[in-house]
Amino acid sequence: MAELGVEPPTVQIDVHLDSTGAHVVVLSGELDSSNAATLQERVESIPPQPTQRLIFDLTGLRFMDSAGIAVLIGAVRNASSVSLRNPSPIIQRVLETTGLSNVFSIEP
Amino acid sequence: MKAPGSLGRWPPSWVAVAALLTGLIVTGALVLTSAAVYTRSERRLLNLRVRELSLVLAATAPSIQTPLASAAELANATGGSSQKFREFMAPYVGPGRQFTSVSLWPLGTSHLAPSAVLGSAPVLASMPERATQFFTRSTRAGVLNLTSFLSSPHPALGFDFSAPGRAHGFAVYAEKPLPADRRSSLEKNSAFSDLNYALYLGHSERTSDVLVTSLQRLPVEGRQAADVVPFGAGVFTIVVSPIGSLGGAFFERLPWIIALVGLLVSLAAALMTDRLARRRRYAEQLVGVLDQVAAENREMYTEQRSIAQTLQHALLPDALPDFDGLQVGARYVPAASGIDVGGDWYDTVPVGDGQMLIMIGDVSGHGLRAATTMASLRHAALAYAAQDPSPSFVLAQLSDFVNSGAHDYFATMLCALIDVGAHRLTVASAGHIPPLLIDGTGGQFVELDANVPIGVMRKSPYLQKTFSVGPDTTLIAFTDGLVERRGEVLDVGLARLREAATHAALSLEDLLSELAQGLASEGHHDDTAIVGIRWQN
Repeated sequence: MAELGVEPPTVQIDVHLDSTGAHVVVLSGELDSSNAATLQERVESIPPQPTQRLIFDLTGLRFMDSAGIAVLIGAVRNASSVSLRNPSPIIQRVLETTGLSNVFSIEP
Repeated sequence: MKAPGSLGRWPPSWVAVAALLTGLIVTGALVLTSAAVYTRSERRLLNLRVRELSLVLAATAPSIQTPLASAAELANATGGSSQKFREFMAPYVGPGRQFTSVSLWPLGTSHLAPSAVLGSAPVLASMPERATQFFTRSTRAGVLNLTSFLSSPHPALGFDFSAPGRAHGFAVYAEKPLPADRRSSLEKNSAFSDLNYALYLGHSERTSDVLVTSLQRLPVEGRQAADVVPFGAGVFTIVVSPIGSLGGAFFERLPWIIALVGLLVSLAAALMTDRLARRRRYAEQLVGVLDQVAAENREMYTEQRSIAQTLQHALLPDALPDFDGLQVGARYVPAASGIDVGGDWYDTVPVGDGQMLIMIGDVSGHGLRAATTMASLRHAALAYAAQDPSPSFVLAQLSDFVNSGAHDYFATMLCALIDVGAHRLTVASAGHIPPLLIDGTGGQFVELDANVPIGVMRKSPYLQKTFSVGPDTTLIAFTDGLVERRGEVLDVGLARLREAATHAALSLEDLLSELAQGLASEGHHDDTAIVGIRWQN
């Protein structure tokens, strides 16, 4: 793809259960429309339960566009609670602008 | 396109030919050098051999002189006794011995003749004039004198010795026959069996002066060396030429060995170089093929992108409405790269009573699905606006419309209801970036409740705000592509936009063009919609 002048960004996704029984999705890299579908699949593979709690750890995430936000919003519909952990100031600002800081609970 | 496998073997690559030529030149130089070294060492060896042979020949002189000198002393002492002379010389004369003929000559008489003869009659005795001249003029006493009968039917070499200081003493004369054809090979086990030779009398190399030679034909040809051999009062000249190689067969063949090995190495190097050159050419062809494929891909990509853009434009309004007292402009700037079109849209709709509704939005994601979603949202929004143009109503209805079905997207959207005559502005945002308001005091972003985007949750309220604006106010609404950059906080992009929009007093069209060009020149990655309005008073 380098000939086309497009270097696809990469995102690393790691899902694990923490001690409280919540699924933690650790994201790092850059999340955009070129790789949001990958995250979507990983999130959908988490078994849906009425008491499901999801935590997106955004510590290592440098960039997230609207396609990435759409995946997070989609997760809200399938879980009892969704938290975003430690978003960068850049992402925090995007969440504020889009009015989503009230939809997710944001952990420092 | 030539198939990469069909490379011919001919013509060879120029670099292989160059390698071959270089190898041949180096080989040639080595061959010439080794040949020159060989020739030089052969010449040097030949010169050594001829010196050796010359010394050996010279060393035979005493074996001839000694018996003759002893006989001459004996004759003087015995007054020329024939008997004593014969007794002394008998062991030296006869077939297989040193001489064929030995004779005693009394000197000092007018008619010279031998007084005693052993063996056959001397040839010299049959030539009285020659004998007189020989003994009276040509010979010196006390040294071995030489003469020869080369044209005689019985060619022979004659030796004379007379004791010094006695003018009327005796001369002892001996003859040694030469082979009639002068041919005599050296013995096979001789130290000089590797040489052909020719022995001449005197300082001569004339064929008529040859005494004996191993060659069938004279003169000596090819590589040769000569030396002068002092022999008694006279000299011989010896000329030799090698039969084979004096330094050994290996050194004689060395130039040929070098030539053969060099030729083989050069050929091998050329073949290997040719092979490498072909592989390189093949790789270059492959690169060419890849370039072509890449070019074709680029073309297809451009084509796809152009189709998507055509669709996008088809979904956007054809023309902006004319509105009394208000300038309206819009730009749609496609992303500089990427196949996918964005889901950005805008509308400017007159809604009666001197009012106009501006709607601008952005569906999450890219591609055909975002574009078709955008189209359905846009038409739904137009329908709700026809019902009630109030921004909070339009957004709330649209949100419920989207949330009533299953979906996996969301959209940010801004609605602004413009009352032209009242200089009033009512704005609501669904998670969209606020618009920029520019008036005589500068530019500022409208402060709004963010609300949630369309498609996030049902029954969420969309709060709107109403502002009064002064004359000539400009409103710039836009989608995030205009201000959002990777690795940059949004506020930096907002400040950049405000600076770009207020640094000069431009007409609305020029301002929109400048903003669009600024985007295009930086190679942005997201589609962007920009809508601007300006009160004309």
